[in-house]
Amino acid sequence: MKRWMISSLAAMGAVVLTAAPDAALAQRKGGDVIIGMVQAPPSLDAQVTSAQAARNVTLHLYETLFARDENAKPVPELAEDVKISGDGKTYVFPIRKGVKFHNGKELDANDVVASLERYRKIGASASLLKAIDTVKATGPHEVTIGLNEVQSTFLDNLSSPRAPIAIYPAEEAAKPANQINYIGTGPFRFVEYKPDSHVKIARFDGYVPNPKATGRDGLAGKKEVFLDSVTFRFMPEAGARNAAFEAGEVQLLETVDGPTAKRLEGNKNYAIYKVLPFAFQVIKFNHAQAPTGDVNFRLAVQAALDMEEIMGISYPDIYQMDGAWLYPGAPFYSTTGTEKYNKADLAAGKALLAKSGYKGEKLTFIVDNLRPNIDTATVLQQRLKEIGINVELSVADWPTVSKTGFTPTGWHFWVHGYGIEPYEGPASVMAPWVNGTSQQKKDDKIDALYASLNTAMDEGKRKQIFTEFQTHMYDNAVAMKAGNYGLFQVATGKLKNFKPSRIPRMWGVWLD
Amino acid sequence: MSSFLAKRLAGALVVLALVSMMSFAIIWLVPGDPTAAFLDTSATPEQVARLRRELGLDKPILVQMVDWYGRVLRGDLGHSILLNRSVTAAILERLPVTLSLTGFALVLALIGGIAAGIVAAVNHNRWPDQLVMTVALFGLSVPDFWLGIMLILVLAVQFGLFPTGGYIPLGDDPFGWMRSIIMPAATLAIIQVGFIARMTRASMLEVLNQDFIRTADAKGLKRAEIMLRHGLPNALVPILTVGGIVAGALLGGAVIVEQVFSIPGVGRLIIGGILSRDYPVIQGGLLFLAVIYLMVNLAVDVLYAVADPRVRLE
Repeated sequence: MKRWMISSLAAMGAVVLTAAPDAALAQRKGGDVIIGMVQAPPSLDAQVTSAQAARNVTLHLYETLFARDENAKPVPELAEDVKISGDGKTYVFPIRKGVKFHNGKELDANDVVASLERYRKIGASASLLKAIDTVKATGPHEVTIGLNEVQSTFLDNLSSPRAPIAIYPAEEAAKPANQINYIGTGPFRFVEYKPDSHVKIARFDGYVPNPKATGRDGLAGKKEVFLDSVTFRFMPEAGARNAAFEAGEVQLLETVDGPTAKRLEGNKNYAIYKVLPFAFQVIKFNHAQAPTGDVNFRLAVQAALDMEEIMGISYPDIYQMDGAWLYPGAPFYSTTGTEKYNKADLAAGKALLAKSGYKGEKLTFIVDNLRPNIDTATVLQQRLKEIGINVELSVADWPTVSKTGFTPTGWHFWVHGYGIEPYEGPASVMAPWVNGTSQQKKDDKIDALYASLNTAMDEGKRKQIFTEFQTHMYDNAVAMKAGNYGLFQVATGKLKNFKPSRIPRMWGVWLD
Repeated sequence: MSSFLAKRLAGALVVLALVSMMSFAIIWLVPGDPTAAFLDTSATPEQVARLRRELGLDKPILVQMVDWYGRVLRGDLGHSILLNRSVTAAILERLPVTLSLTGFALVLALIGGIAAGIVAAVNHNRWPDQLVMTVALFGLSVPDFWLGIMLILVLAVQFGLFPTGGYIPLGDDPFGWMRSIIMPAATLAIIQVGFIARMTRASMLEVLNQDFIRTADAKGLKRAEIMLRHGLPNALVPILTVGGIVAGALLGGAVIVEQVFSIPGVGRLIIGGILSRDYPVIQGGLLFLAVIYLMVNLAVDVLYAVADPRVRLE
């Protein structure tokens, strides 16, 4: 009883702490926070990698013209604002004055132009800027972008954190991929990178915050830094990461497994945070192969599966049952068209299977060695056995599985998460299915919907298009969303004002 | 001696050529390439193709293989795709870490193993012998990753005696280096102690039954002198062989132990290379480890002659 009360009080304390406004807490300057990371970033050249491990670091060093606010909406960051022409093809960005790079140089329009041009050539997601025709400096602090065609998602793209369209000094932007000095305008500056060991960044005292921002707001907003430095330590072994945290050598873990989070939950020395939703768990079908190319077969699988069972086993304590192809709270979020989600109806599955051309052959489920993905595949395998579908698992490491999964042969099912896409918005959720990239066979309906979404400037129309896409995903079982999953983050109780998000933001926090 | 060395070096070159060819072939047989580390699942086929072109992965395998051999002959192990630097530099940067880890572990393993083996041989079939052999069996059976985690949980988390991981260079802080290296080195060594102890015991038992030991005993020499002056040197050749094997095993074990203790050594470089399909790192790293392994074996062969004058290297 006593323990229960202590836990409850600690939990209440945590809630109060999270809910308290920034100003109500005593802010303290100084200290070094060490973050335990699962992987090392493949590069700190933000433009050329879309790896999560990279953006955890790079979004502290660099900034973009527009960035995403707390609700993932694009808002000005290095730009003061934007003026869009009547025909929707010209964007004029006044650039904020007085912004300093880490090398002391002041940001101007030439830096922005050079950075955007570099991204168009070598950016990891260069297609984000494919609508651009021209990028010109039309003043010392003004950049004008001309588009080939109307693109309603242009500001979404420009502010995407996936492989950030980071603004570098022009002289760095002239360098090839991975050969830049790590200089940005962010609230932290680069200190050192010890390969296989750590990256260290320190507070940039010359940082000029966005004058229009009032508080911490997603990846934009007021970026006030209290810490002296932050060290991202690469610790691939989960047990060693947890041990380092409990021994006090690491102050924050970007992710911990559920049992560890539960074990630490009642301890007042630690704070447990949930980032939920963090991603969708998606089971893909290979449409280029029989029988997964057969819509009746796919619908049979969709009808038979118990998604709650899949999510409950794969992500215990940190999942949401939600059939929508966007996160709850997103502007275009709707459950319309998701009626076929999580039916768990074996009889309906059998009936649909009888209409398909499936003859009991063995089907291949490719899966990487991430535990929840193996669990998802195993639950699916057992469930489908009940309606007579024979599935075998093929487990390998991520590079092997992802290589196979983007070819039309060698697989029927594949599961993995989609995290950044739903965060970015409807166009990014649709993009993987355009040109049949993910399902290995072109789907004209999706291609047409995607094209219309990109050119429709009216928000109501765009919302309707996305709902049509969502309905199409379920009516044809193009792929199956099992649910939303999250991740646990743990921090020392001394780390104050931390608010979990897609990247562990180290601005606005301090050590007590 | 010189002709022996020349023959062994020629043999080593053939082994190295085979190692590099096999590592090249195995890597290329495994699906996947480094683009998976740079791009996510939403990357379009065009993005993947462009990155492959930029990384030179679109060239035919034979062309890449010829390029690789050409570079190796010039002493260049290539350029890491992910680290964006020369593989040689990346290895040399991490080599002191791995050498200090395996070197320290080797010293621990040799001292512990030989001492335990002598104790067991001297007390043949008595309780110290049985105790040493039981502990040795435990050491041989326990997986290094499990042992490493257990040491971390007990010595670092529970008692706070050592850091849970990471590495402090010897030049920066000798005491810090010792604290950071002792648990991983012990993890590596404990497994090998059992192996060396068993071999030392067997070798010593054989020697202790020889006539010259009986003679020494009859002369009234002290037990310790008989063991260390007459017994051990004569039992040393098999122990040296084991020492060579252990040095190789420690290098292999370091790959796992560096991962568990977050130590930035050559093993971790190779694991990272494998997981991200950084081909030059894998090929260069394996070749480098093969070179070290061959050098250790060569050194052991030379030491045979030092330990036993009857051995003629020619």
